[in-house]
Amino acid sequence: MDNKKTSLGGRLASSEAFLSVAASLICIVIGLLLGVIVLAIINAEHAIGDGLLVILQSGIKSPRNMGTVLANAAPLIMTGLSVGFAFKTGLFNIGAAGQYTLGAFGALYCAIVLQLPWYLCLLAAMVLGAIWGAIPGFFKAYMNINEVITSIMFNWIGLYMVNDIMYGKGQSPMYDLATTKTYSLRKVAQDAMIPSCGMSDHFGKLQSVTIAIFIAILFAVIVYVVLNKTTFGYELKACGFNKNAAQYAGINDKRNIILSMTIAGALAGVGAGLYYLSTVAEWNPQVSTALPAIGFNGISAALLACSNPIGTIFSSLFISYITVGGTKLSTQYYTKEIADVITALIIYLCAFSMLFRSKIRALLAGKTRRTGLGKGGND
Amino acid sequence: MSDYIIEMLNITKEFPGIIANDNVTLQLRRGEIHALLGENGAGKSTLMSVLFGLYQAEKGEIRKNGEVVRIKDPNDANALGIGMVHQHFKLVEVFSVLDNIILGVEPATKHLGFLQKAEARKKVLELSERYGLKVDPDAMVEDITVGMQQRTEILKMLYRDNEVLIFDEPTAVLTPQEIDELMKIMKGLAAEGKSILFITHKLDEIKAVADRCTVLRKGRCVGTVDVATTSKEEMSEMMVGRKVQLVMDKAPQKLGESILSVQNLTVRSKRHGKPLVNNVSFNVRRGEIVCIAGIDGNGQSELVYTLTGLMKAESGKVYLGDRDISHMSIRERNLSGMSHIPEDRHKHGLVLDYSLENNLVLKRYFDKQFSSRGFLKFNEIRTYAEKLIEQYDVRSGQGPVTVARSMSGGNQQKAIIAREIDLGNDLLIAVQPTRGLDVGAIEYIRKELLRQRDSGKAVLLVSLELDEVLEVPDRILVMYEGEIVGELDPRHTTAKELGLYMAGAQRKG
Amino acid sequence: MFLLLKYTLLYTVVLMMVALGGMFSERSGIINIALEGIMVIGGLIGVIAIQLMPAGSSAAAIVICSVLAAAVAGMLYAALLAFASINLGADQTIGGTALNMLATALAMVIAKGFNGSASAKLEYSNRPFVYEIGPLTVNVFLFIGIVILILSYIVLYKTRLGLRLRACGEHPQAADSVGINVYKMRYIGVLISGALGGIGGMAYIIPSVSSWNFEVGVSGAGFLALAVMIFGQWKPFRICFAAVFFALFKSLANIASSIPAMAALGWTQNMYNMIPFIASMIILAFTSKKSRAPKAEGIPYDKGSR
Repeated sequence: MDNKKTSLGGRLASSEAFLSVAASLICIVIGLLLGVIVLAIINAEHAIGDGLLVILQSGIKSPRNMGTVLANAAPLIMTGLSVGFAFKTGLFNIGAAGQYTLGAFGALYCAIVLQLPWYLCLLAAMVLGAIWGAIPGFFKAYMNINEVITSIMFNWIGLYMVNDIMYGKGQSPMYDLATTKTYSLRKVAQDAMIPSCGMSDHFGKLQSVTIAIFIAILFAVIVYVVLNKTTFGYELKACGFNKNAAQYAGINDKRNIILSMTIAGALAGVGAGLYYLSTVAEWNPQVSTALPAIGFNGISAALLACSNPIGTIFSSLFISYITVGGTKLSTQYYTKEIADVITALIIYLCAFSMLFRSKIRALLAGKTRRTGLGKGGND
Repeated sequence: MSDYIIEMLNITKEFPGIIANDNVTLQLRRGEIHALLGENGAGKSTLMSVLFGLYQAEKGEIRKNGEVVRIKDPNDANALGIGMVHQHFKLVEVFSVLDNIILGVEPATKHLGFLQKAEARKKVLELSERYGLKVDPDAMVEDITVGMQQRTEILKMLYRDNEVLIFDEPTAVLTPQEIDELMKIMKGLAAEGKSILFITHKLDEIKAVADRCTVLRKGRCVGTVDVATTSKEEMSEMMVGRKVQLVMDKAPQKLGESILSVQNLTVRSKRHGKPLVNNVSFNVRRGEIVCIAGIDGNGQSELVYTLTGLMKAESGKVYLGDRDISHMSIRERNLSGMSHIPEDRHKHGLVLDYSLENNLVLKRYFDKQFSSRGFLKFNEIRTYAEKLIEQYDVRSGQGPVTVARSMSGGNQQKAIIAREIDLGNDLLIAVQPTRGLDVGAIEYIRKELLRQRDSGKAVLLVSLELDEVLEVPDRILVMYEGEIVGELDPRHTTAKELGLYMAGAQRKG
Repeated sequence: MFLLLKYTLLYTVVLMMVALGGMFSERSGIINIALEGIMVIGGLIGVIAIQLMPAGSSAAAIVICSVLAAAVAGMLYAALLAFASINLGADQTIGGTALNMLATALAMVIAKGFNGSASAKLEYSNRPFVYEIGPLTVNVFLFIGIVILILSYIVLYKTRLGLRLRACGEHPQAADSVGINVYKMRYIGVLISGALGGIGGMAYIIPSVSSWNFEVGVSGAGFLALAVMIFGQWKPFRICFAAVFFALFKSLANIASSIPAMAALGWTQNMYNMIPFIASMIILAFTSKKSRAPKAEGIPYDKGSR
C-alpha cells in the first residue's frame, strides 16, 4: 500500500504529465546542444553568436517574426494532432505528409478554380485529407498491412498525383506560369483567404497571420475532449493500448482503425488548408519532388508532446520557432537546414524519451519505484 | 570430492519491490532426482534462473563439486554442464529440430564459420536412440507435437553433454500418459548418472520420481525432505503453510433449462485448413458447471473464441437461451447474456495500461449508467469501481486509479471476475481461471464459480488442471483434436480414465 | 529495348541491395525503416569521396575507395538506429523515421558546406563506374550486387552467423538461453543493412547522371526497397526476383519518352513515377495474407524480461 504522505519528489515522480514535460525538455536541451556542436563543426567561431543565438532569438525578435512563427505553427499543430491522435489509437500515421498534400490540393482547387469561400475550401481540404487517411486505415483493418508501409506508399502516390493535376503540363487553371507556382490567392481568390480579423496588424502587417492559429487551437481542444471525455475516445484508446482486449470487450476494432486514420487524415488536411488559405506560401508542383516538411514535422510535434493534444500546441510553436530561427541564420556562415537537423535530432531523442522518464522517476522517487516489474518472471 | 554436484547456498535475489529468493539453500546430489516444490510465485523459477545464469543473485554462492563458481550467463552454466528445459519451450518455430538442438554450439569450420551439420545429425540420432527420445531431426518445430518439442529440449541438453538437468514444470503441457513416459525418461537419465532438478507443484509426480524434495514458500526455503519417508499431506502443508482443503463442498444440484446450446460447430484453421473444432455439440443448463477438459491445443481455445465471437465458425449453430447468436457480433453476444473470463488475462482480459476503474467498466462504459450523449460519467464509474473493489476484495496500490499493469496476477484475475460476474449474465464462460495463481486465489475463484452455479447460472469451465477438472464441475466433456470424445461424470471417473480420453486413446458417443 | 534493360538492371541492383540490407536487419529482429536515410547518407559520402580522390587516380581505386566510404558511412549512420533500438529499446519505427528526416537535413547541410554555396547539388564524374558491353551500358554495381546476393544467401543459410542471426529475429529468448548475445547479433544485422543501404544509395545516384541535388534525397527508393523485401518474403533470391519486377516498373518512367508507343499515351512523368508505388500497394494487398515476417521484429529485446 502507498504511503499517505509521499514526498514532493514522489508525487512528481508519479505524475505522468510532469514526467512527460520533463522528458521533452531534456530532449530539447540535448537536441540544441547537439545542434551547437553541428554549428561549431561547420564554423566554430560563429557557433554561438551567429548560430545558436540567432536560432533562439529570431522567433521573438520582431512582431513580424512572431507572426511568421504563428503562421507556420497553425498547420503544424494540425499535423501534430493528426499524428498524435493516431498514436493514441496505436497507429503510426507517417502518412500525415500525404494527407497534407491532398488537403493542399483540395483547398487550392476550391479556392482558385471553384472560387469558393474560405470555410468551404477548408472543408474540402479536410475531406480530401480524410480520404487519404482512410485508405491506409482500410488496408490495415481488412488486409492487415502495416499502416506505416501503406502510408509511405500513399504519400508518394499522393504527391505525384497532386503535382500532376496542379501542373497539368503547364495548362492547369491553377498553375501560374509567371511564378511557376499555383496562383496567389491574394490576387485571384481573396474570398478564399482565411480572414485575419485584424491579426496581421499586430504582427508587422504580415498578411499570412490569420485566425488560423485559433482554428488550430480549437481543434486541439476538440481532440483533447474527444480522447479524454467521450466513450469514443475510451474505445480508441482501448484499441491503442490493447487491440485484443478491445475486441474482447466488443469494441469494433476494424471500424475504429479506419475511423482513427480518417480523423487523423482530416486533421492533416485541415493543416494544409490553414497553411495555403492563409497564403503563407503557394504550391510549387514542379519543384516539389519532396514531401511537404510540415507533414513530417507533425511527427516531431506529436512526439515532443507525448501525443497530448494540448501539449501539441506548445511543441508546434516551439518547432515553428526554431525553424523560423533557422531561416534567419546568416547564409554567410550557415544554412537554414540546421534547424531541420536540430528538429530531427530532437525526435531521435524523443524516440527514447521513455528512458528519460524512467530515469527522472528513479531520480525523484529514490529507489522505491513501484512499476509493473512486480514479481520477477515467476509465472 | 564433495557429495553434492551442485550447491546453492544462502541465495538471495531481489526484484524491485519484491524479494523473490530469501536466503535459500539447495543441495543437489550426484545422480539424484531432486524436486523443487512450491506454489506459483514461491520463487522456484527465479532460483533456477539464478542457477542457469539468467539472473544474478545479490547474496549467496553457488558451488559445483564443492568449488565456488560464478554463473554470469547461460554460457557459463553450459560450460559447467548445467542445462535447462524451460516451462515455455525456447525453440525457434521455423527452424528444424536439428537446428534448434545445435543453436549456440554449432559445429562449424574454424574459418568463416560454415555449418557442419552432418556430424551434428549423427550425434543427435545416437543420443535419441540411447535415451529413447524419438524425434525427427528435419521436421520444423512448428509442425511437431508438444511431446516431441519437449524431447527436442531434452536433446538440446544432452547434445551439450550437460550433467545437471533442470526441468521447469515439464508436465504442464502433457497428457497423463505422456507424463508417465517423461517420468521413465527422467529415471533413465538419472540412472545414467545425470543429476536432475525437477520444478513442480504436483505432489503425485514428486512421489513418482523424486528422491528428495526442497520446498519453497514465499521466497523462503521451508526445508528439504526425503520423498520416500514424507507423506503428500506433509509436503502439501510445507508448501502452503497451512492445511488446505481444495476439495469443494458442493450443494446439491438444481438443474434448470438449457442456457447455452451448441450444435455441430466446426471451425477451420486459416493457415492450413485443418478443422480446429470439429462438429462439436453440447449444452449447458442453469445450475450446472460443465467442464471442457483436454490437453492444451486440442481446440478448447478456438471453441471458446467461436462461442464468444472472437473467431468465426465455418458451420454450426450457437444458441443462448432460445436466441440464435451464431452470427452476432461480440458486443451483441455480451449484451445477450454472456460473460467471459478469458484464458489470457493480459492479452484479452485487461487493458493493462488503463486504470483499474476503466477496466472494470470495459464491457459497460456505454451503458446509460456510465455515459450520456457519448460523454463518460466519471463519477459514476468511480462509485461503481469502488463498489466492486470492496465486494470482491480486489487489492491494489491506489484503488480505482491504479494502473492495471502494476497489480498482482491474482488481483488482476479478481478484477476480471468481478467485472464479468457483476454483468449478471446467465452464462459464465471461464477459461483456465486459476492459471498461475496461488492457493488462496485458486480457492476463492473455485468457490465463486460454485456460487454462480448455486445461484442458477450456467457455467462453462475450460481447464487443463486435472484436479480442477475432477473437483469443480458437474459434468466433464473431453476434447481431443477438435472433437468431443467423451462425456464423464466427475463423481465416477478417475484421472487415469480421463487421461485415456485426453490422449485420444479412448472415446465414446 | 536496350535502354529498358539498362534501367531495369540499374534499379534492380539498387532495390535488391537495399532490400537485402533490410532483410539482414529484420531477420535479426530490427525493423529498418531508416533505409531511405541510410541511402542518402551513403550516396552523399560516396559522391564526396569521388571528388576527394586525387586527380589521376585509377578507375579501380576510385571505385573501391568511394564504395567503401559509402558502406562505412551507411554503417555509421545505421549504428544510430542500432543504438536507439537495441541499447535503449526505443520504438524502431519512430527512431527510423527520425533518422530519415535527419538524413535529408544533414545531407543538405553537408552538401552545401562542401560546395560552399547555397546549392545542395554536387557534381562528379561517373566514368569509372560505367562500362560499355556491346550496345549495353552497365555499371560496376551490377557485379557488386551479384556478389552481394550470393554472399547474402551463403551467410544467411550456410554459416553459424546466419543461423544465430535468424534465431534472434524469430525468438530472441531462445537464442539468449543458449548463450547467444542477442544485442551483438542485432548490431551485426543492422550494421550489414547500413553497409548495403549505403552502397545502394550510391548505386542509385551515380551511374545514370553526373550531378545530384540532395534536396530530393533518393525520392522514396529506400521505401520501395522495403516493399521489395516484404514481397521477397525476407529471402535472398525471392528478393532478387521482386527487385527485377519493381525495377521494371520504375524504369518505365525513364524510357517512356523514347518509346513511340508509350509517348503516344501522353502520360506525364508524374504518372510513371506513381506506378511503382501503386504496383507495390497492389502486390502487398495480395501477398499480405501469406506474408510471414520474422516473428520478433520490432520488439525491443530486454534481457531483464526473459
